[in-house]
Amino acid sequence: MITVKDIVIGFDNDLFAIDKVDFQKGKVHVLTGRNGIGKSAFLRTLTGLLKPIKGEIILDNKPLDEYSNKEVSNKISFVHSIQNGVSFLSVDAYLMLGRSNFTNMFGNASDIDLRAIENAKSVFGIGHLSHKYTNQLSSGELQLCAIAKAYVQETDYILLDEPTAHLDYQNKKRVYELLKQISIDQNKGIIISTHDLDLAFKFPFEFYLIKESDLKLHKIDGFNDIEREFNT
Amino acid sequence: MKGIKSHAILLFSVLAGIFALSIYGLLSGDIPTEFNDVYHALLDYSDQDINQVIIREIRLPRIMMAIISGAALSVAGMLMQTLFQNPLAGPYVLGINSGSSLMVALGVLSGVGFFNSELGLMGSALLGAFVFGLFILFTASFLRNQIGLLLFGVMLGSFVSAIITILEAGSQAEALKSFALWSMGSLNNVTIEQIPIILAVFIVTCFLTFFIVKPLNILILGEEECRLMGYDIKKIRILIVFITALFTGLITAFCGPIAFVGLAVPNLTRMLFKTQNHMLLLIANLLFGSFFLLTCDITIQLFSDVLLIPINALTSLIGAPFVIYILIRKLR
Repeated sequence: MITVKDIVIGFDNDLFAIDKVDFQKGKVHVLTGRNGIGKSAFLRTLTGLLKPIKGEIILDNKPLDEYSNKEVSNKISFVHSIQNGVSFLSVDAYLMLGRSNFTNMFGNASDIDLRAIENAKSVFGIGHLSHKYTNQLSSGELQLCAIAKAYVQETDYILLDEPTAHLDYQNKKRVYELLKQISIDQNKGIIISTHDLDLAFKFPFEFYLIKESDLKLHKIDGFNDIEREFNT
Repeated sequence: MKGIKSHAILLFSVLAGIFALSIYGLLSGDIPTEFNDVYHALLDYSDQDINQVIIREIRLPRIMMAIISGAALSVAGMLMQTLFQNPLAGPYVLGINSGSSLMVALGVLSGVGFFNSELGLMGSALLGAFVFGLFILFTASFLRNQIGLLLFGVMLGSFVSAIITILEAGSQAEALKSFALWSMGSLNNVTIEQIPIILAVFIVTCFLTFFIVKPLNILILGEEECRLMGYDIKKIRILIVFITALFTGLITAFCGPIAFVGLAVPNLTRMLFKTQNHMLLLIANLLFGSFFLLTCDITIQLFSDVLLIPINALTSLIGAPFVIYILIRKLR
């Protein structure tokens, strides 16, 4: 469980605050709020990339800053909202980078690593891209690959910043379904930020809204709260 | 699997090429020698035989320096390109050489005893390269634009050459001449006695590089990805700059500035092998770098009757058009 308590998120200025939230395993947690309110900053804070201005993050009963970078990378994986393709980096090689915590010190893959990648490719339906270079992919294909790379990292928590932004409708639905399935079947805690709310609300996810009025994170139950927030 | 096989064939061919060129280089020169002389010079040396002396004292150190310099500068270039995620980066264009040049100029032109000694020269060239490397690293943290960083390197080079010109204006004829010769770049100035220390530093630095292959592979996705995979990115960055400085400083101290090898060869290997696997790239850069500089050196020897081409001039003649080609491809 990731517990966030009395925290203030931000870079130089405060963005928003959270009194207390528990992000449990086995569930998909969805963050939403207007552009620029600090969703990405929050996700980055949970990975340790960004320090909170104030407050504490507890990752599995221990404060996040008592973990080493390596330990965090064994527990939390993160998918950026924007991916950059790299020339001469094949999709297979790209996914193998997600296995870095398992490969030996020169990055050589074992049979287990190869199987993990084959499995991920079939789960996310990207097998046909295996030998393509990542700079030849569409932004949607790249996004699927990035999610697959986080998946092969085999962490308890997967954080995704707008994972569906570049996807077509079918793939958006597919990603939400997969995230739901992964969270339940493998008991993983998944936290995403998104603007694709119409679709997300069709899934049994936990929803949180960063409200403009008090700049705090609130748990919400229905679409009405969202309508109210964005209509005022 | 087919890929691995063709990679191996390519690497072995280059290795064989290096071997063949080395033998050819040892055999050929103003004074004709035979294979027998080479054999004796290497394995059963007698300083009474003039042919053996020429091979062992003149040709062997030159050939070995061509191999080491080419390999070292190419790997240094690969490291810079990965660190800055910029195919146009290299120790020369970024001005890391300039750091060494400045320190060597201070040493040679000021004539202060310690800096003029062998160890002093090497140490100060390494230090100069490392300090300039850190300076470029620091600048890169707020100069995100790829071309911008290169311009910064060029400016750094101009700034240093201005300082060197001032130093030159105020120095003795003797010191001036030896510095001018050094700055043309030459593989001839190394003696056989210096080879062991150079080789030792080179091999240790290569070993260091093998141990950062894995973070280098992740670094191509960016520094944040590297951090998210559990690496201390600050340490990795400084280690990369340190290794680059060792390679660059070592070669610059003994051979003078050699331009563009570090820029052209890593790009060439990436295009040939179509990979971002730094284990393969590292081996490829070591071999192709050696092969490239060895070819340059033998070309120079072939023309030496007609025209004495400084090595720095030849690598620039080949390297500069190659950089322009990459620039056009990138900026088109």
